[in-house]
Amino acid sequence: MVVTQLIEKAMKKAQGAQAWLNQSESTDVSFETNRLKSVESSQQTSLGLKVILDGKVGSSHTTDINDIEGVVNRALESAEFGSPAHFDFPEPQEAIDVKIYDANVLPLTKTEMANIGEEMIALVREYNPEILNYASVNKNIYNGEFANSKGVEYSSEATSFSLGVSGQLVRGTDILWTGHGFGWKKRDIDHIEIAKETIKRFKMAEKIASIKSGNVPVIFPPDSLMIILLALRLGVNGKNVFLGSSPLAGRLGEKIADEKLTIIDNGLIDYMSGSNKYDGEGVPHKVLPIIENGILKNFLYDLDTAGRAGTKTTGHGVGCNPTNIVIKEGDISFEDMLKNTKEGLMVYDVMGLGQGNVMSGEFSVNVNLGFKIENGEIVGRVKDVMLAGNTYDAITKIESMSNTVECVGGYLIAPYMKISSLSVVAK
Amino acid sequence: MRDRLEEALRRSDAEYADIRIEDSTSSWLNFRGRELDSIGSSKSIGGIVRALVKGGWGYSTFNDMNDLGKRVKEACESARMVGKEETQFAQVEPVVDVMKATLEKDFREISLSEKKNIVEEYNEIALGYHNKIQTTSVGYGDNFRKIYFASTEGTYIEDERPNTFLYVSSTAREGNNVQNGFESISGKTGFQVIEGFQKRAEKSSQRAVELLSAPPVKGGKYTVVIDPKLSGVFAHEAFGHLSESDFVYENDRMKELMVLGKRFGSDILNIIDDGSYKGGIGTHKYDDEGVKTKENYLIKEGILVGRLHSRETSAKMNEKPTGNSRSISYQYPPIVRMTNTYIDKGKTSFEDMIKDIKLGILAVDSIGGQTSMEMFTFSAGYAYMIRDGKIAELVRDVVLTGNVFDILMNIDMISDEVIWSPGGPGGCGKGGQSPLPVGLGGPYVRIQNVVVGGRQ
Repeated sequence: MVVTQLIEKAMKKAQGAQAWLNQSESTDVSFETNRLKSVESSQQTSLGLKVILDGKVGSSHTTDINDIEGVVNRALESAEFGSPAHFDFPEPQEAIDVKIYDANVLPLTKTEMANIGEEMIALVREYNPEILNYASVNKNIYNGEFANSKGVEYSSEATSFSLGVSGQLVRGTDILWTGHGFGWKKRDIDHIEIAKETIKRFKMAEKIASIKSGNVPVIFPPDSLMIILLALRLGVNGKNVFLGSSPLAGRLGEKIADEKLTIIDNGLIDYMSGSNKYDGEGVPHKVLPIIENGILKNFLYDLDTAGRAGTKTTGHGVGCNPTNIVIKEGDISFEDMLKNTKEGLMVYDVMGLGQGNVMSGEFSVNVNLGFKIENGEIVGRVKDVMLAGNTYDAITKIESMSNTVECVGGYLIAPYMKISSLSVVAK
Repeated sequence: MRDRLEEALRRSDAEYADIRIEDSTSSWLNFRGRELDSIGSSKSIGGIVRALVKGGWGYSTFNDMNDLGKRVKEACESARMVGKEETQFAQVEPVVDVMKATLEKDFREISLSEKKNIVEEYNEIALGYHNKIQTTSVGYGDNFRKIYFASTEGTYIEDERPNTFLYVSSTAREGNNVQNGFESISGKTGFQVIEGFQKRAEKSSQRAVELLSAPPVKGGKYTVVIDPKLSGVFAHEAFGHLSESDFVYENDRMKELMVLGKRFGSDILNIIDDGSYKGGIGTHKYDDEGVKTKENYLIKEGILVGRLHSRETSAKMNEKPTGNSRSISYQYPPIVRMTNTYIDKGKTSFEDMIKDIKLGILAVDSIGGQTSMEMFTFSAGYAYMIRDGKIAELVRDVVLTGNVFDILMNIDMISDEVIWSPGGPGGCGKGGQSPLPVGLGGPYVRIQNVVVGGRQ
């Protein structure tokens, strides 16, 4: 393996080393304004090395698989000025198998991919020929190699497949964009269902409704839960905790949310986008509760951050980010959740997420696709509306969660969540 | 390289094909809090082939440089599968041009240790400013990209694109209240760009600490004055994206909405995109299709007079190419993008803009912006209330939103000087390509009746 050559060369000077090689081949078929527009093939190579030299860390990477000498030299050079190593590369450990390769992805031809796109667009146009559609179908095959100086050594093969269709409907100066897509490591995606979901959203948006400024209950479908989760993602990141920039630092074991909220990080679900047997540092993935019945249970760590913080890696290297997030279901049906809402908002898509002071939990976003709820029914799409709140406040005001969950984008499994009160500013 | 590219292009059986190769070296380092978080350097090389057959595009991107002819054939084959119509592609005069970058201080000749020392000094300043500074994130990066471009029409361009950037982000904390300050710079002329940043490193921390005691803005409608950087973001988000003709050229409804000659603002409003602006963050001599960049008026005296084009969109709309086809790297085909976009200066002094505002907001600096074509939103780094014609208290969490089709009409005053923002590591995102360096700047701009998000 190329990575073992890298380790061998690096270890002539270094006291520890870790190397990886990622190669991928992908195909992307794109439709614009209802027509097939382009077909793209991509071949990518990335070769990287991290070393510990005299107690300091250095790294380098390249796209040239033959540049082994160069990578080793640059990594060793940077280690001279690197940060102190607070960790050692891990020994081989027992790990749980998870499915990340689907043999059905490779044989898929460009023509078959184009047909999928065409069928989705045809369906949306059947509903309303005025909609201009954009679609894409993408497949990837990855080959990875990993090794470290402690004897961890493995290679892996993975696939991914994704598709989506979105449309634009212009009426006067009202420009409505919506759509739906899905991706994971498996071929098995029903593109007809994806197109139907897009149509469903257009249908819901046919009527326009107005909403008054004020504090109202807001329902977040799984699709838009990221509005609430974004700050939490940063807040449980071990690096932000260690540095004290996370508002959750020092609060393990405290009740930070309504007891209905349970969030689990699970990198071991077959075919989901964040799944893998190991993290990027050769540490096995596991199932880790983050919030359990409202109580903060764990932060996410990689080797280096765990070393600095005096704790153990949780298998979230490199970067202390979640793998797949699973939110436990609630106890009422979505229909009842809706029925119980006298006046409120259901939000599917927003603009401006992540632009503010995300770490503090504050969000203030423009509702791109959202619906007014009146007396338990969706009465129409709202326009020119801003939604504002704070994640850490919102998760204490979870009124209910639905008893069914959906998988969104291949990395999140979650129910509908209703927050009892958030601020809405209308034009 | 020229021979290699031209040799490979001889394998093309498409109506048009080009190859763009990017050979790049880079180095980076960043501190998080007291400690160096990462340091390193890297090299990459890769390329993309584009082929056009009967209006259909085939692309092939690669890191493996061994068989370029195979990539050309692969792109042609994909294009043939797509193309079912007639190719429309604007004619441009083929050029042969080899350009060299001039660096005042060549960052490739400066050791990692020297880079580390200077960044460490900024970090110490930011961390030591106040005991409420909880942590920092201070980073440096440079890259030197050499681009080789060749087309079947005989164009051959070599372009060197150096870039250096620095950012200082300070986090202040008081209990659960966490606030940020941010300062950044970027430039193409060498390492000296990031020198002398001590004052701004301090300013970053000063702002973070001040924001701890600033209240969040109260949501509602205000008269808002935006500073030059935000006015750049405003020109970019509230109008610029709408003038990118790939959103328009195959969309009859959008064509009606964006018909040239339509009034978008009052006579005082001029919006320009200029890819040839000297020293601009988004400046290049040629775009990524080999088309020369230039100054393009989008709005002149309130009237829509132009838009941004690639060779394909300009041919399909029967307008002249503008040199706005750009890509962030060899991993992507170029798409229609802005370069340096700004509202041109007006005639009012800053003082005159605020003196008759009873209750308003002076919004300063930008955290980011986004548009859905119809609606836009952008976030100020920080802001001050304006009360009875005077700048009053600092406020935070200011997000502005509006409708692109009526907001420009609400601009009633424009200050008399254009100031460009010093740039940074970020840029514009579109179609999965982010960040693309774009120049942001402009004058102070006053806008009536802006919706500001926030709590009641």
